[in-house]
Amino acid sequence: MSPLLEVGDLSVAYGAIEAVRDVTFSVDEGQIVSLIGANGAGKTTTLRTVSGLLRPRAGTVRFDGRDISGLPAHSILNLGIAHCPEGRRTFGRMTVEENLLLGAYTRDDEPGIQSDIRRVYELFPVLGQRKNQKAGLFSGGEQQMLAIGRAMMSRPRLLMLDEPSMGLSPIMTNLIFQTISELQSQGTTILLVEQNALAALALSDHGYVIDLGATTLDGPGKELLADERVRSAYLGED
Amino acid sequence: MTTLLQQIANGIALGATIGLIALGYTMVYGIIQLINFAHGEVFMVGAFGGLAVHRWLLPEAWQGDWYISLPLMIVGGVVVAVTIALIMERFAYRPLRNAPRLAPLITALGVSIVLQEAIRIWFPNAESAQAYPKAFIDAQVDLGPVSISASKLLIIVVSVALSVGLQLYVTKSRMGRAMRATAQDRDTARLMGVNPDRVIVLTFLIGAALAGVAGVLYGVDITNVDNAIGFQNGIFAFTAAVLGGIGSLRGAVIGAFIIGLIKTLGGQYMPGGTQYDYVWIFVVLIFVLVFRPQGLFGEAERVRA
Amino acid sequence: MTTTTATVRSRPRITLAPTLAKPLAAAGGVLAVIAALLPWTTFVLFDNDEVNPSLQYFDAPFALSGYRLHTMLLGLAVLVVAFVPRIPGRARAQRALGFGIAAIGLISLIFLSYNGGGVGTVTAADGDAAFGAVVALVAGVLVVLSAIAAGITDIPDFPTRLPRLAAYGALVLAFAAILFLVAETLTAGGRSGVSNPYAGPTFLAFLGMAGGVLGALSGVGVVRWISALSERHRAFSIIILVLCALSLPLTSAGNAYWMTVATTIGVYAATAIGLNVVVGLAGLLDLGYVAFMGVGAFVAANLSGAATSKLGIELPFPVAALIAAILAGIVGAIVGSPTLRVRGDYLAIVTLAFGEIFTRSAQNDIGGLTGGSNAIPRIPDVELGGTAFNEEIQVGGLELPGGVLYYFMIVLVVGAVMAVFANLKNSRAGRAWIAIREDEDAARAMGIRTGKAKIMAFLVGATLAGLAGAIFAHKLTIASFDSFKFLESVTLLAAVILGGMGTIPGAVLGASLLFVLPEKLREFDDYRLLLFGLALILIMRFRPQGLVPDRVRRAELAGETATGKSIDEEEALVVEQEHDGPTGKKGGTA
Repeated sequence: MSPLLEVGDLSVAYGAIEAVRDVTFSVDEGQIVSLIGANGAGKTTTLRTVSGLLRPRAGTVRFDGRDISGLPAHSILNLGIAHCPEGRRTFGRMTVEENLLLGAYTRDDEPGIQSDIRRVYELFPVLGQRKNQKAGLFSGGEQQMLAIGRAMMSRPRLLMLDEPSMGLSPIMTNLIFQTISELQSQGTTILLVEQNALAALALSDHGYVIDLGATTLDGPGKELLADERVRSAYLGED
Repeated sequence: MTTLLQQIANGIALGATIGLIALGYTMVYGIIQLINFAHGEVFMVGAFGGLAVHRWLLPEAWQGDWYISLPLMIVGGVVVAVTIALIMERFAYRPLRNAPRLAPLITALGVSIVLQEAIRIWFPNAESAQAYPKAFIDAQVDLGPVSISASKLLIIVVSVALSVGLQLYVTKSRMGRAMRATAQDRDTARLMGVNPDRVIVLTFLIGAALAGVAGVLYGVDITNVDNAIGFQNGIFAFTAAVLGGIGSLRGAVIGAFIIGLIKTLGGQYMPGGTQYDYVWIFVVLIFVLVFRPQGLFGEAERVRA
Repeated sequence: MTTTTATVRSRPRITLAPTLAKPLAAAGGVLAVIAALLPWTTFVLFDNDEVNPSLQYFDAPFALSGYRLHTMLLGLAVLVVAFVPRIPGRARAQRALGFGIAAIGLISLIFLSYNGGGVGTVTAADGDAAFGAVVALVAGVLVVLSAIAAGITDIPDFPTRLPRLAAYGALVLAFAAILFLVAETLTAGGRSGVSNPYAGPTFLAFLGMAGGVLGALSGVGVVRWISALSERHRAFSIIILVLCALSLPLTSAGNAYWMTVATTIGVYAATAIGLNVVVGLAGLLDLGYVAFMGVGAFVAANLSGAATSKLGIELPFPVAALIAAILAGIVGAIVGSPTLRVRGDYLAIVTLAFGEIFTRSAQNDIGGLTGGSNAIPRIPDVELGGTAFNEEIQVGGLELPGGVLYYFMIVLVVGAVMAVFANLKNSRAGRAWIAIREDEDAARAMGIRTGKAKIMAFLVGATLAGLAGAIFAHKLTIASFDSFKFLESVTLLAAVILGGMGTIPGAVLGASLLFVLPEKLREFDDYRLLLFGLALILIMRFRPQGLVPDRVRRAELAGETATGKSIDEEEALVVEQEHDGPTGKKGGTA
């Protein structure tokens, strides 16, 4: 069976500056795959390219066997890829409910949307309690919940999460990672970008290390966790 | 006292016209941070569109019946205004979407000049002011001590109705949500599946439609139009949008009423009379920008983040 | 607001085999020569042909003069450039020459067929054949194609460390050539008007030729070399430039009419340099700038004993001009003071508001100082030792045309301004302005007193405009609010942008073009503003960095910083690279 998402020899540049030069990885249906690497390694750029915010300079992005590189973001979303961006980027001047409705922007099955909103409120009860408040008033963790919930509203086959634990307390981080496993068990494939390599790899079926814009190392999450090079470079051990 | 009330009534009618134009400024600014200088000209071509319908399309038998001719003229004005606005969005502004901010602003100035000149050169006889049909009941309505023409009353009613309608559309509808999302964070809106191009086109379209309506009603009320009405009213409308807090729909409308009042009351009571009424608007604009650049309603409900 | 759409979408480009380059160039060059020899119209265009000695739309074959001569010269130049070995930057030169030939052909084609009443005029009608314009157009296109086939290469660099004398010689030659070109450009086509229906197209065709030659010189690196040389010997260059400008009355442009045109251009050039400080250097968009010129004009008018002035003061011109400049500067500082709190687009609107307040007040004769719609007429001529500046004068055996003294004055003013401002960019104040333009918060964090610097920019710019306004009022002998309206502000802004923001030669060039063109194209007067508006749109779309781009500014406008890069900017960047070679310099601002 071919992988759900397959990225090959991807290269992306901002003008003359190449942010990603040789990234190759794949994500199988039902897996959690994480991309780890230092700041500025090109992880976020990779996700933004997959979701259509950036155009690749070279290389391929295939989703479900179809070449999607260069498609506009809204078409890619329609194919079943949701991208929960770095820094959460919730719409601060809109209510929780409006944010979730925007997540379902491309759908028009009103009953389905309503039941999905209820699902999100079950998953994150705090959102349900404050559904008519402006998102800008929320804490970082709550905004992250909202961002994930919003991304789930499009019923994606692949959910891409960019640094979901960034700036969160350890308790909140735990909660978010629990949620990610839960989403996987409900059948969503997940591509995770994290600086918190330990937590990410512990959760992942497969992991890739991105260094200076290229994938340099990969393997099952547990194996990477044990890998000397990974431990020294990304887990702060000598 | 009667004079004061009368001038207030006139100011509100002027504010209603300006408000319809100001909504277009504020929406476009909210979405793409462009001061669309040419928006006043969209209002102007809208007025000429309505005039063209009356002059060349309406059978003479219908011209006297305002309930037939006025709606058709409004449709004509809106169609022309929207067409022009969409052309300029597509060919002048869209290619500059990511250029430094100076570029689209200067382009907007260019578009404004082109539209003014195009009307002057190609609309028959438009080198001088054109008589506009009185396509509405020619009557004065007495409201206590104040008497206001029926056409001014119509402008006020239409303007308030359209503003409320737009506010509801933007806050309640799916496309309205998409517009607000695009205004706040375009990239994230794209991740929600929003196509920013469509949102921007829709924004221009709505703004132009409102300006087209305003153009026809303005012509019907003032009963003559020339190719300069866009520049002047456009500046008033822009001032109103800034005064209200650019990006805010409610602010634009309230700002417009304030501007209308400043102009009529300033012309009545300030030194220099009507020769300087225009100046007071700019004085207010400068003071607002200097001392409260976010506008009067900067923190209230806004289209943009 | 960061919309990030990275990477290049390759433009559809014409590619041709390099082997085609020489044959195409040969064909194009020969065709251009043939075109020059062919007749261009099938009939005599205007009745008064014999009255007009500058008649150039010949219906006769082999009549070589005017633009037909230009076409032939360009064609020969193409052959030379194509077949002399080891010419650096050959393809660029060819491309420019090709565009020049094509421009001449196209302009003539349009003019002739429009006035002749159809394509028969420029092809075959009534048994006559006249394919000159068509052949020229084809020749131009072939030459451009040959350049594309050859492949555009970098502009070559020549050494600029020359012995002083050699450098001076080169500069003198270059500036003399510029003087010649300016005089020819001014007089090309003659004075526009009803009696001279050829003026517009002849002038445009001349511009096509001049553009082609300049482009070719630029392509082989001569222009860059000269500008580097003049940069190195700046003081000498400015002196020579001023001397050259002062000799303009001795050329074919030496009559009262052209002196007036040249003086007006000078006034607007000085004003544009001032605006350039505000917009180009400090990045503060000013949409009401012409008001400062107006302040200068009205102050000078009131202080110089104009008949209708209520003040009844009559000061000598230098004093009046000085006061005008100072007052305009003060007004500038006042108008600029909101910059302490207002930024960007909002600032543009504040300046627009001030400009409108000025216009409206002047129109209403505020305080009896502006004459309202009657203006202030009959401002006395400037006098020096009993000679009124509008009179003809005699120096030794030389007869100089009327108005020449105003011209001299404005040349000296512009020269002085250029001398002062040439160094400005590298001065402390200039660096502060540029820092503010690039990033105001960062500039403040670096310890620049941004408020003071911004107000200084307005003050300096307004002072210059005020001085220019004073000269303007005296030259025209009238000061009217009509000359200082929003449209004039936009035109000045367009001049700065068209020339290239932040560069002084750019401001002068832009002002010259925007104020010469309407003078030359009177028969299109009705369409003047329409074309102007279109030009603004097209410049912003296709060459936002202007004709003489500033290096830093160019990087900024042509290819933005990493996160703001768009596809369209990518294209602009690619185009820039073609023009200017290696990309290395441009990465700098990213």
